[in-house]
Amino acid sequence: MSFYENTLITKQDLPKSELDKIKEKYNKLINNSSGKVIKIEEWGLLNLARKIKKYKKGFYIHYKFEGNEKTLNEINKKIKIDGSVIRYLIVKYKNLDTKKEYFQKGKLDEKKA
Amino acid sequence: MKRKRKNFKKRKTNSLNKLSLFQKSDSKFNRPCPLSIKNAPIIDYKNISLLKKYISENNKILSSKITSVSSGKQKKLTKEIKKAKILGLI
Repeated sequence: MSFYENTLITKQDLPKSELDKIKEKYNKLINNSSGKVIKIEEWGLLNLARKIKKYKKGFYIHYKFEGNEKTLNEINKKIKIDGSVIRYLIVKYKNLDTKKEYFQKGKLDEKKA
Repeated sequence: MKRKRKNFKKRKTNSLNKLSLFQKSDSKFNRPCPLSIKNAPIIDYKNISLLKKYISENNKILSSKITSVSSGKQKKLTKEIKKAKILGLI
């Protein structure tokens, strides 16, 4: 078992109910395929640096989980089929630090400024 | 007023004070690596505010000659910057 981080970018024009569905869908997927979700973060709507599949904005969802090859294979399969996910990244880590959240801080700074 | 001007002139001469042409000035070269000090910021693809310092205006990675980052940290930086580019953060 090792630690992973998975970030999804979904389309910008989805309603909230569908976003929650997507969030739960991958949460269940990881938990059912011999994995364990440690933390879920929502980074919210962010501007993309360049256009990805004709979209300028994206909704970011971030998972921190524990798993093995089976979980990774299933996530990769499901994401490739999923039409509402524009892009994704899975990164392997030796140790996860769950305390730091870079994107909540950035939001607060923007509001102040 | 006169005293202030004198002080100002002295500072200027100090930075360019060389005995010969081939002598390296200490202040400009041999800067220590900013990412391997104690309590250095973590290099990560989520830490965008740090990564943006090491990127040019055209989103190219700056060389370690300019930024004086050590070679080990520069390898980490490039990997993390490329991850952030995939996610469209930079």
